[in-house]
Amino acid sequence: MAKSDDCVHILQGLLVFGNVVIGLCGIALTAECIYFVSNPHGLYPVLKASENDIYAAAWIGIFVGLALFALSILGIIGVIKASRTLLLVYIILMLITFAFEMASCITAATHRDSLTPSAFLKEMLERYQKSEPANNSDNEFTKTWDELMLQNHCCGVLGPSDWQEYTSAFRDTHNDADYPWPRKCCVLDAQGLPVSLDGCKLGVPGYYNSNGCYDAISGPVNTHAWGVAWFGFAILCWTFCVLLGTMFYWSGIEY
Amino acid sequence: LSLPTPPARLPYVPHVPPMALLGKVTATTFALERPRCVFDGHADASDAVWLAVAFANGEHSLLRQGTWGPSPQPLSCHLCRAASATFRNPRSRADVPPYKQLPTSRSYMTLETAAAEYSCSAPSPPVLRVGSDTACRDQGRQDPCNGPLPSPGPYRVKFLLMGCRGPKAETRWSEPILLRRAVSPGTIDPVPAHRGSDVVVITSILASLGAVLATAVLGALGAKVWGSLCHHDLGTDAFTRRSYRTHHIPPALPQPLPPGCRCSPPGLCRSV
Repeated sequence: MAKSDDCVHILQGLLVFGNVVIGLCGIALTAECIYFVSNPHGLYPVLKASENDIYAAAWIGIFVGLALFALSILGIIGVIKASRTLLLVYIILMLITFAFEMASCITAATHRDSLTPSAFLKEMLERYQKSEPANNSDNEFTKTWDELMLQNHCCGVLGPSDWQEYTSAFRDTHNDADYPWPRKCCVLDAQGLPVSLDGCKLGVPGYYNSNGCYDAISGPVNTHAWGVAWFGFAILCWTFCVLLGTMFYWSGIEY
Repeated sequence: LSLPTPPARLPYVPHVPPMALLGKVTATTFALERPRCVFDGHADASDAVWLAVAFANGEHSLLRQGTWGPSPQPLSCHLCRAASATFRNPRSRADVPPYKQLPTSRSYMTLETAAAEYSCSAPSPPVLRVGSDTACRDQGRQDPCNGPLPSPGPYRVKFLLMGCRGPKAETRWSEPILLRRAVSPGTIDPVPAHRGSDVVVITSILASLGAVLATAVLGALGAKVWGSLCHHDLGTDAFTRRSYRTHHIPPALPQPLPPGCRCSPPGLCRSV
């Protein structure tokens, strides 16, 4: 009797500890997803453009995190009181939350995969400096790219030769002789004018930015994807163990 | 009236600069290395150096027919369709083919510069850019116009030293220069080449975890339902809650279990 009592107490203690961890992780997940959704790097117009919305996973993550926190409290109460009803409710709601978080992780990982350099390149060539923007999002897109190229001292997705190898919306309005690539690709002085316009047009090293912006984009995107997909995955693994333990405990509670 | 002396043929070959410049050949412009010290000894102070640009297409069949001598030359003029082979040096500045006539006469001359700028002692940028002046194309001025080239070419160029009485010296023709041709972005395939391993790992592990959980829940519920059916003679209220804390209650006689029903899970089923 005493031994099984001890076993039960240990199981209760473990379940309470497991639920505490779930609650804390839920809050962390919510905070992290709110941070991503708030667009800290100003990349949202660029990422939103490529038809997959990587922010869907983050939005789901916000609500799943809050649900995990609430359910962990319910679970702690149910375990301490050894209540079959509470624990049954807890298990069922946790399964639903598990399913949502699973969707969020898989979505984040899949969308991260689809953000290839080619996808960005195609989007940029078709929308940057589009002369008759169909809607406001094209203006936003151009402004975001200009900011991106200015702040990171980069040009295009893979390099300035993107503008030479492919025709583009930019090329439709800017002739090749004066603008082999956008002015933002030139090294600019304090007033925002190119240091040497001829040097920039010729491609003299030191007067233009020769690296592509893909690294500057993929850095934050990878962090985002890791944060949502893999952190969510870790939470789910832990939740799996806690749920199994709770079900074991639940089935042992007598009427 | 004496025939004008033919211009001196200088051995210099114009070429695209060898240094790494990303914009040395674009879709409508190209750069040339500035010829230094080439015209010293032939040029007076008043002479001008022009750049002759001509289409180079139509030469391949000529070169394949065999060559003799150190460099391939067209065998005979009735075979040559290349504008660079049929280019005739203008006899005076008035005869210089202008930029506007490039589509029809398939050659033009531009970049009129004083010969002093190409001398050994002149400090100057190391490259010349052909096609950089878009204003003269748009305004249609009659001056020598260094306008952008209308098609990818290929082109051959040579420098021509023009004096007051006609051409005095010329360099050799360059190798054909082919400009860039841009393709449409519709040819870019944005689909990733292969599914990343991240997705496969996450999906497979999460799917199996979810399946295990679902099975466990169904199993536990099913066992509970089956257990409550077997124990229906206990007649207890299903929502009465009991804790595991044991109190000092004299043990009651255990109820006889109907045959075939077993307590499950074993070990945790006790009657108090």
